[in-house]
Amino acid sequence: MAFEFAFAVAARVVLALSPLGSYLQDDDQLSSPLTSYSRLQEGIYLFRHGVDPYSGGSFRHSPLALSVFSTIVPKSRIHPTLLWTFFDAVGAWALVNIWRSRSNIQKSERDMRIAAIYLINPYIFLPCLALSTSTLENTLQLLVLMFSARGQSSPSLLALAILSHQSLPAIVQLPPILLLLLSDPQSHLASPRSFSQSLFKCLPLFVEFAAFFVALLFASTLVAGGLGWVRNTWGAGFLLPDLTPNPGLWWYFFTEMFDHFRPFFLMVFSLHMATYVAPLCIKFQHDPLYATFLLLGVLGIFKPYPTLSDPGLFLSLLSLFPEIYPYLRYPVVTALLHLHAFLLLPLFHHLWVGTGTGNANFFYASTLVFGLANGGALLDCVWAGLRVAIGEEKDGWVVTQE
Amino acid sequence: MNWAFFCSLFITALATNLSNSEQYQEELTLRPLLDGKVAAHFSFSTLLRGAVPRAPSSLGTDDTSQHYSVFPLALGQILREHAIPEFHLTINSGKWDYDRWGHPGEPGVGSGAELWAWMGDGAYASVDERWKALQNSLSGLFCASLGSMDTLHTTSPTRAFPPTGDLPRLPAPHAHSLRHATLPAERVCTENLTPFLKLLPCPARAGIAALLEPHKIFDADWHGLGVHVRWRAGAGVELTLTVQVVLDPVRISAERRRDWSLRSLFDRSIPRACSIATSSVIRVMPPSGSKVGEYALTPETWASVNAGSVLYDLTNDTPELDIAMRWPDEQRFSYSLEMSPLSDLSVRRTLKGSSQTHGELSIVIRNNQPVTFRTHYLETMPWHVELFLHTLSLSCAHSEKCDSLFTNMTYTPSRPHDRPALLQAIIELPPDETVHLSLRVRKAFLRYQEHPPDAQRGWDLPPAVFVPVDRPHRRIYTSASLVDLATPDFSMPYNVIIMSSTLIALIFGSLFNMLIRRFVVSKLDDEVPTSTE
Repeated sequence: MAFEFAFAVAARVVLALSPLGSYLQDDDQLSSPLTSYSRLQEGIYLFRHGVDPYSGGSFRHSPLALSVFSTIVPKSRIHPTLLWTFFDAVGAWALVNIWRSRSNIQKSERDMRIAAIYLINPYIFLPCLALSTSTLENTLQLLVLMFSARGQSSPSLLALAILSHQSLPAIVQLPPILLLLLSDPQSHLASPRSFSQSLFKCLPLFVEFAAFFVALLFASTLVAGGLGWVRNTWGAGFLLPDLTPNPGLWWYFFTEMFDHFRPFFLMVFSLHMATYVAPLCIKFQHDPLYATFLLLGVLGIFKPYPTLSDPGLFLSLLSLFPEIYPYLRYPVVTALLHLHAFLLLPLFHHLWVGTGTGNANFFYASTLVFGLANGGALLDCVWAGLRVAIGEEKDGWVVTQE
Repeated sequence: MNWAFFCSLFITALATNLSNSEQYQEELTLRPLLDGKVAAHFSFSTLLRGAVPRAPSSLGTDDTSQHYSVFPLALGQILREHAIPEFHLTINSGKWDYDRWGHPGEPGVGSGAELWAWMGDGAYASVDERWKALQNSLSGLFCASLGSMDTLHTTSPTRAFPPTGDLPRLPAPHAHSLRHATLPAERVCTENLTPFLKLLPCPARAGIAALLEPHKIFDADWHGLGVHVRWRAGAGVELTLTVQVVLDPVRISAERRRDWSLRSLFDRSIPRACSIATSSVIRVMPPSGSKVGEYALTPETWASVNAGSVLYDLTNDTPELDIAMRWPDEQRFSYSLEMSPLSDLSVRRTLKGSSQTHGELSIVIRNNQPVTFRTHYLETMPWHVELFLHTLSLSCAHSEKCDSLFTNMTYTPSRPHDRPALLQAIIELPPDETVHLSLRVRKAFLRYQEHPPDAQRGWDLPPAVFVPVDRPHRRIYTSASLVDLATPDFSMPYNVIIMSSTLIALIFGSLFNMLIRRFVVSKLDDEVPTSTE
């Protein structure tokens, strides 16, 4: 296992050191304005030259990222490349550990396959080559899941607080993470039961999370020298000031939106993401890890500034739930839609803004296909997650929803 | 009878008093250039002797009444209404070629419209409100779309645009501040010149203003109007209206000769002097590149000659005047191929890259002098072109290390949909050195309503400005460049709203449909499928 893991990481390092990375660095599908490495460098430059990086619109990373990267990222290209590959390796390691907790065993033959599914997923490694900080967010996300699966509440809640500072939409998974910390990560999809613990036990955990969150808030304000960063980082998710194309659904909608409806639809889109939390937590109260997984799928589709790595994380997490595979209804269709979108997104993006021979609608259409592919995967997973409980169909009987 | 006499005496005294307190001077400078063109610089200045700009704190109260005989009332009202001690407005068309034409008589030659004003605070209306009001008043006065100089265009580059006159002293906490805006796409046309001429005491009838014939002015290779107001302590409020044109006599001559006369250049001669003017002079500079004796200047009734430049004084007894310059021995004008640049600096700014997401701003600055030269560099970028300052790099033609030449940088980042970026620095240029400055930029994506009606044409970027540290009046403007931004499909708003909403509704609906329904296991009715087979 260790040898194969090292081999996969080494292969990633070789790829990362190739000149491919410099071509991908400013690709809009791999890094959004909130996660772009060029913007991170710009923020660090401004910070070091005494200009408040949050006074303009080019820097939208959290002050935590600013303080960390202004101390550790040197000027050359090699070091960040190695650092990003290291993040991905940690992410893969965390994913394997989540699998071990879920299947409640120390070691299995699937370990390597799960790590590989993360390390060679193009949606995961391309953003890593582009040095998008969404790689770091994914790693943090997997650490959150790993710590909660192991029942280590404080590290888990701290990691979630850091992650929420990086990307505010991630906070929607707080309820299922709290449920997960109170129950166990093992699969209960086949035997649904109601949540056994008292919900009041969530309260101290929630207070702990709030304490971490507020402490980080103070630290950020201290680093940024004021509260101006809130508008630039979290505010960007609500107000969408930067309409750079990405594979998500927000950017073209708000490019074409009439000015007097803009605030209303911004509110609707933000609230819409939150509406999934309670229903998924209630329906999957017997398996909060699965509920978190589904919420990550929702974020991958409906985040204000998604990159390919957000749906990529959802797809890689699918490897944790082999029990649902027999009940997926249309995995081939979803896979083909993904293939279709994955080929068309860069092509149409280049035709529109690179050569100028296509127009915005081509790229918009491929983001719709991508949304459909992610939506299809999510819906199929919801169906399969519920369907597992009924078991195999017998001849002459059919399982439907009334 | 007696009463009428006193009354007329009083009016005469008042008129004499007024004419003493206002002084009008006009001057035309004609400068034959190396490339056969002729630069003409008209300057009409009116001095309100002893006048003091209105204090901002008095804005809420009734103003003293305004009586002017020469000073244009329309402009005087604007100055009093918004308490503006100094402002400069220029509207130009074309690209001033510093290398061949040297420095212009009036430095504001950037393409498009440029407005800057110094204003004191302490009024009930803030500086920004009065700045907005000033633009709107001037737009109305000069029929120009200056009103679109909103926060997207306004900056405060105080180092590059110091006041040219004096600023009145304000009570303690208050200070003067600068507002500067450029509209690079604004064109100057007849509808701007007509109201401009109305501000002159002798419009198009007498004096040198008679030469301002719109057809010829707007046919020129380069033309621009300027309005400059400043206050000089001890003297008064000074208004200078300027017109600058670069005319090409070679182009209009059938024999391709560079001979010119006022009639050939302006289609007019000067019929008589403007009797209101206290001084009215025409200065003809010696043609650069021609030796004395190669050319002849008529008429020879000039008032004085000073180092080759000839001065004509227009007085009331001057007959109709048509100045002409001829090169009798030259059959045909031939452009000299080797011209050493006439300006202190030669600057070329370009935006490179074909992509609509990224580009590179490249500025090549050549010092044409044998001495080290320090200059302010001022770059104003609209928010839709984002500068990546961390990619800023300098390289020199002759030396290896030249990053240290770029000093004293101040930077205000742009804010999307709100304000432009302002980059100021001092660049030190070694003698006869060429410095290449490059910077990566990112082009933003605009909302569909932010695009202009001719969206595919692109956006004009305001010119960068170079101001020599020791000679702030010798500003150099780079040419305005055009940036190509990606456009959405303008016919799509409803389609996009419908299609995106459909996808969201599909996912939302299917998901909740699954979550709220129960699973049932039902027995298949065997007979139905078999009956269809």
